[in-house]
Amino acid sequence: MKQEEKLLQEEMICQGHSACPGCGAALAVRYLTRAIGPNLAIALTASCWSIIAASPPLATLKCPVLHCPFPSAGAVGSGLRHGLNARGMYDTTVVILAGDGGTFDIGLQAMSGAAQRNEDVIFVCYDNEAYMNTGMQTSSATPFGARTNTAPYPLFKVGQKKDIMQIMASHGIPYAATATVAYPGDLEQKIRTARDIRGFRFIHILCPCPPGWGTEAADTILLSRLAVTSGAFPLYEVRDGCRWKLNRIEGIKKSLLKDYLIRQRRFKDIDRDRLRILQEEVDRDWEFLIEKERLSDRDDHQD
Amino acid sequence: MSYEFISGSQAAALAVQRVGVDLVAAYPITPQTAIVETLASFDALGSLGADFVSVESEYSALACCNGAAAAGARVFTATASHGLAYMHEMIHWCSGARLPIVMVNVNRCIGAPWCLDPDQGDSLSQRDTGWMQLYCSGAQEVFDTVLQAYRLSEELLLPCMVVFDGFYISHTYEAVDVPDPEKVREFIGPPAFEAQVRALTQLNIHGIVSGEQYHELVRRRHLAMMQAFGEFETINEHFNDLFGRCYGVIDAYIPAGADTVVLAAGAVAETVNWLLPVIEPVGLIKLKMFRPFPAVEICSLLEDNNIGKVIVIDRNCSVGAGGIFARELKAGLYNMKKKPEIYDLILAGGIDLDEKLLAVMLEKVATGKADHLEWGRWIY
Amino acid sequence: MTLISINNTPGYSCGSEAVSVIKTGEWRFVTPVKIDGLSPCRQDCPLGSSIPNWLDAVKRDDWAGAWEILSKTNPFPALTGHVCFNPCTINCNRRQIDQEIDIPGLEKAIGRWREKNYRPLNKKKPARGKVAVVGAGPAGLSCAYYLNKAGYELTVYEKSASIGGVPALGIPRYRLPEEVVRREAEMLREDGVSFVLNSALGRDFTLEDLYGVHDRIFLAIGAWVPRKAQIPGEEADGVRAALEFLENCNRNAVKNVKGMVVVIGGGNAAIDSARSALRLPDVSGVTLLYRRSREEMPADQREVAAAEEEGVNLIFNAAPREIKVNEGRACSIDFNHSRSAAGELVVDPKQKGSLECDTIITALGHEPDYTALGVMKTPGVVLAGGDLTGGPANVPEAIRTGRVAAEAIIGQLEGVSGQDPEKISNKAVTFEQLNLAAAGVLQKCGRQEDPRQEAERCLGCGSCNSCGVCYTFCPDLAVNTMNGRFELNLDYCKGCGICVTECPARALLMEGGRRW
Repeated sequence: MKQEEKLLQEEMICQGHSACPGCGAALAVRYLTRAIGPNLAIALTASCWSIIAASPPLATLKCPVLHCPFPSAGAVGSGLRHGLNARGMYDTTVVILAGDGGTFDIGLQAMSGAAQRNEDVIFVCYDNEAYMNTGMQTSSATPFGARTNTAPYPLFKVGQKKDIMQIMASHGIPYAATATVAYPGDLEQKIRTARDIRGFRFIHILCPCPPGWGTEAADTILLSRLAVTSGAFPLYEVRDGCRWKLNRIEGIKKSLLKDYLIRQRRFKDIDRDRLRILQEEVDRDWEFLIEKERLSDRDDHQD
Repeated sequence: MSYEFISGSQAAALAVQRVGVDLVAAYPITPQTAIVETLASFDALGSLGADFVSVESEYSALACCNGAAAAGARVFTATASHGLAYMHEMIHWCSGARLPIVMVNVNRCIGAPWCLDPDQGDSLSQRDTGWMQLYCSGAQEVFDTVLQAYRLSEELLLPCMVVFDGFYISHTYEAVDVPDPEKVREFIGPPAFEAQVRALTQLNIHGIVSGEQYHELVRRRHLAMMQAFGEFETINEHFNDLFGRCYGVIDAYIPAGADTVVLAAGAVAETVNWLLPVIEPVGLIKLKMFRPFPAVEICSLLEDNNIGKVIVIDRNCSVGAGGIFARELKAGLYNMKKKPEIYDLILAGGIDLDEKLLAVMLEKVATGKADHLEWGRWIY
Repeated sequence: MTLISINNTPGYSCGSEAVSVIKTGEWRFVTPVKIDGLSPCRQDCPLGSSIPNWLDAVKRDDWAGAWEILSKTNPFPALTGHVCFNPCTINCNRRQIDQEIDIPGLEKAIGRWREKNYRPLNKKKPARGKVAVVGAGPAGLSCAYYLNKAGYELTVYEKSASIGGVPALGIPRYRLPEEVVRREAEMLREDGVSFVLNSALGRDFTLEDLYGVHDRIFLAIGAWVPRKAQIPGEEADGVRAALEFLENCNRNAVKNVKGMVVVIGGGNAAIDSARSALRLPDVSGVTLLYRRSREEMPADQREVAAAEEEGVNLIFNAAPREIKVNEGRACSIDFNHSRSAAGELVVDPKQKGSLECDTIITALGHEPDYTALGVMKTPGVVLAGGDLTGGPANVPEAIRTGRVAAEAIIGQLEGVSGQDPEKISNKAVTFEQLNLAAAGVLQKCGRQEDPRQEAERCLGCGSCNSCGVCYTFCPDLAVNTMNGRFELNLDYCKGCGICVTECPARALLMEGGRRW
């Protein structure tokens, strides 16, 4: 842990931004921009960060941020990369920053196109599992069983959370990884790994949202940690769409799933059936990942 | 002069190649596909000099252009009809973003139902988005206009749409003077507009503003676009010096003693131009610049020539309101002391204007039997 | 709002001024506060030292800061580092990971720093008052240190020729090098404390003599009168009391201690005597007799284990009955089996034993010499501390009484009511309460050679140990860093409370109003 004053200078976000107290997304962007450094250009699509980025004449991020419309993140980011190259700025990293809506739903097409073209950008999805900027409406990143303002009590989100990592892996991109804010070292390491690879890179960051999840602002890191230790949000990397690697964190206990859910009012009154379905989903996804990792090991060793 | 026997689409592609762009975002749609294919063939020959990106939708095509232009690159894309409609949000955005993007739109009907014929409703329904719109009547004009569009948009930092009719212009061939690249470079050099995205700088570009700020930004955009008239004239003087051709925001032929003129844009204007000897003493106002709308120029022309009747050819129809060119004209003439009668001939669906149809319309107008709104296939 | 940013650009929205002009701290209605909680080490320390606080200072390489914190309760870290039995380490929460923090080692390091960086106190004239201290042991020296620092003129009267009390005269050199106390004495001298040696209360001066000259008197004459075993043969040659023996060892003036040595007693003095005897050239073996069990020994168990390892023969449940004398010199000692039963000592007359020996050392405890005190006319003027006043007889306890007396004297003479001790919790932070998940992966690294790295192993336990977790997890960057310390920046803190939840040491609390 470094102990010098220059710590604050290394940060790429400014104090005074308008994120909610305890905002996971603020931390995610803080870590990822810090890991990349100042030579960075961000294409930012409609999401909470569109507001957190501040209102001109003010700015929250210390690098250029190009706001763009909701569905366009993948395409504007691609164009930005080409444009910077045309002007000789090859060293400026282009990061596309989108929420779960701008990645899983309305932005899926443009992201898929950019991934298929293997555009040289890092696409970062900061995922708070609903359309939070507009007041907590369902997205395809909302987990099964959660309540939102478009699926209010007694309704709940039907349908599993989209497995965006599988989708990105099937594009065969050079690098995809999951991360979350309770493990900043892991997150920054993955960002740095991504920064040094050419081609389309995808990072999926889970960001707890206190107002949206119905949690205490003080519990954001605790929840993010529980998401990992309960197995609900595994941390792993996929290279070239075919080599899967789990980043093992000690103490993954499936029994913690209930602890994870019980702190979130969006899962309030979740009944036993729904809990069972969620647990099965978590277990199934883990088995899938372990199997994928095993196959990747086998393939590596066959070389 | 060095002539090539090319189609309107090929002319557009050649112009883009001569200008020298950094990025072409390509998505196919009839009837513009040949534009992107021709550019691809240049890329294959190594003579394009730009990144040719096959995107996955028209929206992404314009979004890709947006991102590149923000970094200071010169860009191009082409679309039509449904593609243009699909990118509607992005079209607004590019104007507000003050980006010098040039896009060709080849007119085609928008469904439902499917129809490939050239209706101008697609480009006209984007008239409120803050793009300049220049209409072309032939392949040479397409070539020249694309060149001029880059100068115009980079000068005013507003995007510009170059529009021409599908099939009538895109797929017909004529002899087009295609100047050498060096000559074109005299007219327009490499992109010199300031990049919005500058590395290692704290910039919050297009961040959220209040209504007050938006009001001011719209005002500035409007004022900027109103400079297009003067700018276009300057550009065409230079163009004339170099290439011996020029265009005006409107071009008119009004014979002495004329009481009636036809106002048209696009291919139909060329048709009427051809028929001028036959329809004497009816004149022609060819509308080239639609946005900004040259109301002042048109009013002066009508007043100076004491025109009593204007027949507007509308290859479009804004359902519930009528032909769009006619409406725009009426709005533009509102403050004239003595306003001419305005007759709106609707040729929506790309209906061909032949000699007979024009004659019938002129007859009805002359004898006072014309309705103010006439439908091209119901006029008989 | 004026459109400053778009005046120079071709009319699009663009911001370039940092958003930090907005003080988001104003949005807050609850505030996190750094606390100084109670750690197990601090709870167990006889001096009540803020141990995690000075460990944090050492970690940050702020030795001056560490000295300042430590000297508030302990002015002689070099001394305590050597001789304190370190109750602080027994419940150290770090034990649950690898090994307790080497607090005594770090105290010695601070002591070394203090010596190397010592500057004499810049004493203000005139002195605020005059105080006499009788007895130059840890209690007396501690009282002198605090009063001297507060601006008083100190005179310390000492019966012997040495300064240091039991540490100088009674603690063996293998436990406490000679120069430690000598250096402390030198520093006190240079700070302006006067010493009058070879001057015994009762013999060379009385309390009356002191009254007239000094505003206050602090008595710390210790307990030097050895308790007798009260068994036959105790007066023979070869039988001596522990403190006298140890004093002779320290002065290299031991005479006639040879052959088989038997030590009677179970306290620290007994163990010290046994281990010291073992080091004498003429001694062939050492046996220690204690009348109760090993677990009941008042001596520090680590010392007992060390004695055993060195070869001292330990015999428990043995109550001496008689010392057999041959030609005036002790030659053997008879004992009976004894044990504790319901707090009483039960001696079994039938089970006996005997040990041949040449020397017997009795370590049965010491009493103060009350007769030296004389008659005290005005009790309010005299305070007392250290072994004289009973209670736990160890060096840190003595130092504590000296400080308490100094504070009382200052309070009396200056009319200020004593500062209320900081209100801290009554319950020490347990290992389970710490939030170690937030501290990341804690290496099971064990003891570190480098003092800063060793201090870094401290978990804080209720006090900030500058780990920086609050800085890492603050979404608003509302934590300032300076010289390795972390302080909350209330200009920007929105009161989310992540820092409070995540602080590994539990050194933050939420205060004020309603939570979200």
